[in-house]
Amino acid sequence: MEIVVLIKPVPESETRLRASPDGRRLDSEGVRFVLAGYDESAVEQALLLKENVPGSKVHAISFGPARCGEALRAAIALGADAATWIEAPPEGSDDPILAARALASALSSIPYDLLLGGKHAGDDEEGIVVGAVAELLGIPSFGSVTDVRPAGPSGLAFQRPTEAGIESWETSLPCAIGLQQAWNDPRTAKLPNILRSRKAPIAKVDWPTVAKALGSESSPRSLSEEFRLPAPRSGAKMIEFQTPEEAAEKLVRLLREEAKVFP
Amino acid sequence: MPEFSLTAEQESLRDLARKFARTEMAPKAAECDKSARFPEEIYRKAWELGLMNLNVPTEYGGSGLGALDQCLIVEELAYACGGMTTSIIANCLALEPILLGGSPAQKSRWLTPFCSEYHLASFCLTEPGGGSDAAGLKTRARKDSEEYVLSGEKCFITNGPHASLFTVFATLDPSLRSKGVAAFIVPGDAPGIVRGKDEDKMGHRASSTSTIRLEEVRVSRDQRLGGEHDGFSIAMRTLDQTRTPIGALATGIAQAALDLAARYSLERKTFGKPISEHQAIQIKLANMVQAVRAARLLTWHAAWTIDRGQPGTLESSIAKCYASDAALRVADEAIQIFGGYGYMRDYPVEKLMRDAKLTQIYEGSNEIQRIVTARELLRQYG
Repeated sequence: MEIVVLIKPVPESETRLRASPDGRRLDSEGVRFVLAGYDESAVEQALLLKENVPGSKVHAISFGPARCGEALRAAIALGADAATWIEAPPEGSDDPILAARALASALSSIPYDLLLGGKHAGDDEEGIVVGAVAELLGIPSFGSVTDVRPAGPSGLAFQRPTEAGIESWETSLPCAIGLQQAWNDPRTAKLPNILRSRKAPIAKVDWPTVAKALGSESSPRSLSEEFRLPAPRSGAKMIEFQTPEEAAEKLVRLLREEAKVFP
Repeated sequence: MPEFSLTAEQESLRDLARKFARTEMAPKAAECDKSARFPEEIYRKAWELGLMNLNVPTEYGGSGLGALDQCLIVEELAYACGGMTTSIIANCLALEPILLGGSPAQKSRWLTPFCSEYHLASFCLTEPGGGSDAAGLKTRARKDSEEYVLSGEKCFITNGPHASLFTVFATLDPSLRSKGVAAFIVPGDAPGIVRGKDEDKMGHRASSTSTIRLEEVRVSRDQRLGGEHDGFSIAMRTLDQTRTPIGALATGIAQAALDLAARYSLERKTFGKPISEHQAIQIKLANMVQAVRAARLLTWHAAWTIDRGQPGTLESSIAKCYASDAALRVADEAIQIFGGYGYMRDYPVEKLMRDAKLTQIYEGSNEIQRIVTARELLRQYG
């Protein structure tokens, strides 16, 4: 099975976020970008399928600026067999449809039976790209999926947890699947594999090539206008008490007199 | 110009160590400290991830890292637990004599099978009669045709109760002092190896330490590392390599103490405001961060010197000594900032002080480090 995993580098979780000088985006200066948790689960799913289906290959692909290289190397260290970086326009892009078009265009020359990705990106959580790539390629797509397994001679079975219960699905290939985070306890890359991944080749499709292939579709159709951080929250107030009754009494008084939620 | 930024490769190694330290080690640090439990499951996992035999070249199944790379990893591990880190890096110390003194045949014979599975090794130099006076060691090696017979007692041996390989230093002729010392590889199941009880220690309680008694242990000639007079030099050159990671270990403990104290100072209120707003606390925090940063930079500099192929004796002595003194001081101040809570075993800071203390003692006491430092310094003027 040829498995393609679509990944996106996102700021590591301990990053202190700030707006870029033009106020339109997150300032990436000095920020470390890593493989998002959702994408880690997607890579893990790809590796589990590869281990289950002899002869399978895992190919990680990322669209974006040069920092994609680090996320792709992380995927190689985990066990991906190949990696391709699709370069974004030099001025950057916030348009998920442009990302989907660029990825779909690259997939015209990359073999795939199954496209995997996180159900949404770990940073903007838009959740558009995997479905849009599938639409452009004319293959079915499924979101919020867990536990993908081979089923029958050439199909897949998977689950989709919902509020009402767990749905069981089967599908034929090719298809695209967006995965839930952390349900499969993604493996940790071993030190020798990390060292090897530093030397692994990463194929690059540069932006002029992408732009040429996309023709009139190569300009972004949406642009981020403003990026600002949420207003800082005011401090919490701790209630000191001896008995639950005293705590309740103090809480009601604060709600009435200070928060003024009821008269 | 000096360059203080890390390469992408070094950042990914540090990420691996940080993830392992925070998800596997930290959650069990307090429990293992309290019950003096040797968490073998954690050490096994460290080996699986390649975090154990850091200094062994990849051709023998190790991770083949340089000194700075090792230090980055060790600091991250020690941030979570100094004791576990001691047990994880003890193989680096125990195997270094084989790397320095072993023939290619000895390296393939002893290192390759050792590194291909989870195994622990112990470095056996210190004796009840003295550690720093390595030229005066009492363990005897007696020549018996093609074999040597080893007799004596080693103490404070890290991982001693669990090791499947020992590097042992013994004298063929005590009157020759340092020239009489030879180094040997001894398998853990050699007849005559008697392991003492697990010592009850002040800190590093997740690590295990014991005496190792050698009762007429027979080793063949091809288990001797280098020549009959090379043991002392192998031991000293080993410590030149492994002192610097102890600086990193101490830095990790100090950073943990600083982080805990700084966060606590923002939460804890006295006289109507967070204690971080009192200058008395600010001055403490400023002194602590100075010590942590200086410890890290001295450690990185020593590692950089060694990675450039120089012995780094002066640099590693300064780094180990300074960082370990800093760790104890910073942990002490962290407890002071926590006040009475800091003294309680339910809070994590008092463990840091107990763990920091050992870093002033092992791998060459800080008194010996100062002697080495002064000797190397004066050599430059003489």
